[in-house]
Amino acid sequence: MSNIIETNKLCKTFSNGGVQQHVLKNIDLEIKDGDFTVIMGASGAGKSTLLYALSGMDKPTLGNITFNSVEITKLNSDELAIFRRRNCGFVFQQTYLVDSMSVLDNVLAAGLLVDKNKKAVTEKAKEVLKSVDIEETLWDKFPTQISGGEAQRVGIARALINNPRLVFADEPTGALNSQTGKDVLDALTKFNEKGQSIVMVTHDITSARRGNRILYVKDGEIAAECNLGAYVPNDPDRHEKLRDFLGKMGW
Amino acid sequence: MSKEWVLTKSHFRKNKGTSIGLFLLIILAAMMISSSMLLFTDVYPTVSRDAKRLDAGDGFLRFTSDLTGIDDDCIENLMDDETERYESTSVLFYNSVSVPFGAGKVVMHIHVNNPDAFERKMAKTEIILEDESITENYIYLPYQFYTSDSNKIGDIYSFELNGKTYDLTVRGFVNTTYFACNNNGTYEFIVDQDTYDEIRNRDGEAAEAIVVAYELKDGVKQSKFAIRVCNDLLKYNMDTEVYAVSLSSVVGGRTFMSRIIAICFLAISILVLLVIIMMLVNSISNYIKENMQTLGALKAIGYTSGNIKASLLLMFGLLGVLGAALGVGLSYITIPVIADFVVVQMGVPFHASFNPVATVITVCVVVAYVLIVTVLSVGKIRKIDPIIALRGGVEGHNFRKNRIRLDRSAFGLNVSIALKIMFGNMKQNIITFFVTGFIVFFCVITLLMYENFNRDPKLEMLSFEICGGVVGADYEKKDEVYEYLCEREDVSNVRNIMNIYLYYNDEDKLWTYIMDDPAQLKNQNVVYTGRFPEYDNEIAVSGKFAKEYGLSVGDELKLDYGDKNHKYLITGLIQTTNNDGREALLSTKAAEHLLDFTYAPAYFNYDCDDAKSSQKVLDDCTDKFGDHIVSTMNFWEVIEGSMTTFKTIAKLMLYLVSAICAAVILLVLFLLIKSFIYSKRRDFGISKAIGYTSGNLILQTAVSFMPPIILSVLVFSVVSYFAANPYMNLMMGSFGIVKADLDIPIPGVVISCVAIIVISFFFAVFEARRVKKIEAYQMLIAE
Repeated sequence: MSNIIETNKLCKTFSNGGVQQHVLKNIDLEIKDGDFTVIMGASGAGKSTLLYALSGMDKPTLGNITFNSVEITKLNSDELAIFRRRNCGFVFQQTYLVDSMSVLDNVLAAGLLVDKNKKAVTEKAKEVLKSVDIEETLWDKFPTQISGGEAQRVGIARALINNPRLVFADEPTGALNSQTGKDVLDALTKFNEKGQSIVMVTHDITSARRGNRILYVKDGEIAAECNLGAYVPNDPDRHEKLRDFLGKMGW
Repeated sequence: MSKEWVLTKSHFRKNKGTSIGLFLLIILAAMMISSSMLLFTDVYPTVSRDAKRLDAGDGFLRFTSDLTGIDDDCIENLMDDETERYESTSVLFYNSVSVPFGAGKVVMHIHVNNPDAFERKMAKTEIILEDESITENYIYLPYQFYTSDSNKIGDIYSFELNGKTYDLTVRGFVNTTYFACNNNGTYEFIVDQDTYDEIRNRDGEAAEAIVVAYELKDGVKQSKFAIRVCNDLLKYNMDTEVYAVSLSSVVGGRTFMSRIIAICFLAISILVLLVIIMMLVNSISNYIKENMQTLGALKAIGYTSGNIKASLLLMFGLLGVLGAALGVGLSYITIPVIADFVVVQMGVPFHASFNPVATVITVCVVVAYVLIVTVLSVGKIRKIDPIIALRGGVEGHNFRKNRIRLDRSAFGLNVSIALKIMFGNMKQNIITFFVTGFIVFFCVITLLMYENFNRDPKLEMLSFEICGGVVGADYEKKDEVYEYLCEREDVSNVRNIMNIYLYYNDEDKLWTYIMDDPAQLKNQNVVYTGRFPEYDNEIAVSGKFAKEYGLSVGDELKLDYGDKNHKYLITGLIQTTNNDGREALLSTKAAEHLLDFTYAPAYFNYDCDDAKSSQKVLDDCTDKFGDHIVSTMNFWEVIEGSMTTFKTIAKLMLYLVSAICAAVILLVLFLLIKSFIYSKRRDFGISKAIGYTSGNLILQTAVSFMPPIILSVLVFSVVSYFAANPYMNLMMGSFGIVKADLDIPIPGVVISCVAIIVISFFFAVFEARRVKKIEAYQMLIAE
């Protein structure tokens, strides 16, 4: 499998009142095509910072990131925006749908950025929405008129509309109850099985089980990684293996 | 109060930009109100104050033509016991002389006086500027010659009296009440004694006149007094002509433009105050919406609605007080500049001084206004429930319709999203629509004033009749002169228009135009109600006069002249800015009931192409008929001079209103866009995260503001087109103009409208650049 992302000595430092906090320290990392990579770690370990740096949403302090053969650390903010629209999909913990747009328009607002063919994009948006179990009756509703789980699945549809090379998911089930969280994870898993590469940040072991590669971030560094192989539902060995790995990490 | 103060400081820190924008609007409103108040209470009364200072009394009488028998005893008897005091002086008088002024010439009555003029006890002469080193062949000109940039000290001023040209050095500029403004008909030239003697010796008794300034006793009516003097004068000398002018008409004439400017300023202040209402209500409403959780937290920890409201009142009250104080301060800085333009027309020096009445009224009005609007806007804070507020308030997304669906929109993605934003911000659209509308209206009014007072002056508003020139011929040759003029190919529409005062009930007088056929008048707009008089029992009178005496079309009006009187039927009302709104129009056959025209001169008005051809006509007439020509006037030439002051002021208004309109629209866009971006920062962050560039979002924001602006420009340009003349009629009603029918410069309006749209768009783009500062990542981790 080829690498989608390669980082070289990736560092991120925040300054606060003259005090410097090194959140990411010399991270060398590859994200492989087709993987469902899960980033775990304790609160404040730097996992979300790493996710947003990898996606080009945030700029690292030092080091470089090559994404799909493009060194994105050299791009300015507008070039990064254009790069993101073509290569990245995002699923956030808070869904972040645009409240003033309907469900369908939220997906189209992302899709039409890449493809001007309104008819084709609309067809595709409807298809993606159906694939995440968002029924037609919800398409004209506004984000405040649907449930959290439905909104998160709309977020997934929006992330997938442009067939991104990589979907970044930041605690996608963090704000959901267990059943709706499961639905969201099922949706992500389904797309991964079809070949969609995903990087997900989570601190939930049930969510992490969906990944085939687990990276553990500790004090701004990749402390260790664990390969779980392809996801098999209700596989007790997979769960044990992950628990052992996390146990070793002091989870 | 300390806890409210803590909150106030917090509100200000959170809303620094909006507060500064509102503060600027308050400053602008206070400046405009204070400026108009200063014009009303300080600049405008300057003329009255000055008249008092120069002891002008209540008016003056000028006795001319034959002064035989008009000695001191006669004047004492004429003054009778109706005057408190009077002063009689001798001058040289020249009737309707064309003299250089401003960019051209004006036709004025000229008093030539010697330095004794400085010794007058009543209607004193005051030197404003002087160079004492100039000792011979000098002239003191009215101060208006200086303020209109016509002349400077040391210049050679050339003028012609009875065919002789005098070239005199300007020694200084003087201020007098009655003889210093081109809107009052008479200028006084004070020349050195030698020049005075030379003129007097040359023109002799024919030029001598007596001017009597007087102060009436309490209760004596000005117009009645003047008529009584005219009647009594007949006992002494039938051939003496008397001309009476009241102080009130002089003050009215000299403050014509300052009143128009003051009213315009007041109208602009009202516009700015309306904008402040909209912006204040919008800011407070946004503040509550955006700080719902903070307000909930404050309530939760024990702050009452009253504390929160008081803190907002304190903040906006402080902005109001400081803004009003600064605005008033600025008005004191700018009023001398504005006064410079007003003084051009007033011809009276103005020195700005502190005016406590204007200052206190302005500050009180602005502060009270801001506080009242704030009190009415913060009412909803009481309804905020802490628990609901802590949850972010009730999400009120109650969209009835998903407007501009992206899958069906005919527009591109950015425009579609911009339209979506627009439909989601109706309050912002309404504010933008009305503010732009007001601005379009004021632009149209300003352009209309510029067009009709400056670029292509609407002369019929300032003069009863417009023509190319006027030839006055004595009774012996008037028929020949008429035939001669009619035969000329470069002349058309020759009509004889005579003027005379006719009297009403021994109470008032009417400056009456008499002509064979009123249909020949070029200014057919002069009659605004009814029709021109046709038959020998018909008359048209000015609307202002008719209103004062409760007359209207269809009523009878009895007029006197000498021992004759006749009743006329009013067929129409005329509009006029001259003679204090006391004018009338009669046909010659109707006037013959009172007057015998056999030996009267005729004044032939004619039309021609330009000043050059008019001058040729006048020169040819003078050459051909010699002394039989009693007067000539090149109308084209005097237009420039007469219009100098109006042109200057119209230009000032154009610049000023353009600047204010631009400032208001930019400030409003600044405030709206700033608050819009702040309230939509989350959506902008999401959009950036999913791949929208700053350019996309800037374009969407700017475009979302354009539909209400474009719609408002379209709607209000049409509304203004139809409302401009009625509005101007309303504004100029007190000056005697009822049906202005002013030209609206359509190309100028179109250019202004396009400029408003283009400037708004570019400013919106400029202002929306704030979106660049929103980082998707910062927004996400901040949530």
